[in-house]
Amino acid sequence: MAGHSESSGAEKKSGEAANEIPTFNAENLQTNMKAIYYSRTFLSIVGGVIAGILGFTSLTGFIFYFLVMAITSVGLIAKSGFSIHSYFDSWNRVIFDGFLSGLMSFVLFWTFAYDMVHIF
Amino acid sequence: MAEDLVLDTAIRDWVLIPLSVVMVLIGILRHFVSKLMRSSQVPDAKIVKEGQLIVRARNLRSGANFIPPRSFRARRFYFSNEENGLLHVPKGQAPNPQAQMFSDPNMAMDMMKKNLSMIIPQTLTFAWVNFFFSGFVAAKIPFPLTQRFRSMLQNGIDLSTVDVSYVSSRSWYFLNLFGLRGLFSLILGEDNATDDTQRMMQMSGFGFDPTKSLGAEKDSLDIVQHDWALPKFEQRAEAVLRKVLS
Repeated sequence: MAGHSESSGAEKKSGEAANEIPTFNAENLQTNMKAIYYSRTFLSIVGGVIAGILGFTSLTGFIFYFLVMAITSVGLIAKSGFSIHSYFDSWNRVIFDGFLSGLMSFVLFWTFAYDMVHIF
Repeated sequence: MAEDLVLDTAIRDWVLIPLSVVMVLIGILRHFVSKLMRSSQVPDAKIVKEGQLIVRARNLRSGANFIPPRSFRARRFYFSNEENGLLHVPKGQAPNPQAQMFSDPNMAMDMMKKNLSMIIPQTLTFAWVNFFFSGFVAAKIPFPLTQRFRSMLQNGIDLSTVDVSYVSSRSWYFLNLFGLRGLFSLILGEDNATDDTQRMMQMSGFGFDPTKSLGAEKDSLDIVQHDWALPKFEQRAEAVLRKVLS
């Protein structure tokens, strides 16, 4: 799963200076955030299809979504070599960004795949 | 409450799949049509100048700690002094954005195009869905919901005994409308025409008042706490070099 986040390769200026002066490159930070957003959307769609095919209902499906998002976060963190601060300005970005926007796509594709496989 | 409704497989083949596919294709079509219709307008020199000015001031603000105090003060004075500073806008000279908007027909035209390309396909699709697929249950969402959602999910079905998790085709259309946004941003790229938030930004940027942002930039430049970083950098360089050597 971490493989998808390879687009986050755009390096920000090294965060060594973080001890005193924050040195950010705003554009690179934005590119990194975009990479997070894309990988989250992609994974929520894929996760929705998987959840639908496996036939999860009600709470199980939402737990599955949280699981997928947690795996995404871990994948993103692993991709950044466990040094978040050289790519992003805070942990919240990695863990929470794009969480709610992914939910809608997840529900749609979950419903779609579930109906295809289980209802008819 | 009916336990399990049996849905006809023809509904899947002729309603659910076509509806979703059509929604995706219409989204793509709309993206390219609005791309074609986008007129490139010549930007006003004054607006561009002000934008660049703001960028310069912002750069000064973010890089403030890398220049000596004297230089910083000189630059800040250049930007924000009260007589002829670049960011200082005399009162009463601010152009009225509303008037500007009406004096430039191209701008209004552009906005109308944008809105039309949004509204027309949506109305058409909605009418199409309404005409062909109304009056039956098309799908079932895999999680239970309360009665409150009935009007949202079973739009077009007036039965109070059907389980709320069954979705009518009209509501499936709405679900698609909102849920496909993520997919569009994946397949069409960031600046696609279907993105609602983007559109809101453009809307608000339309009545955008440059003098206001000039004033805001001036204020934030005024409150910058200057702290020259370079004297401490020798120690840091020393620490880094020591780390490298050891």
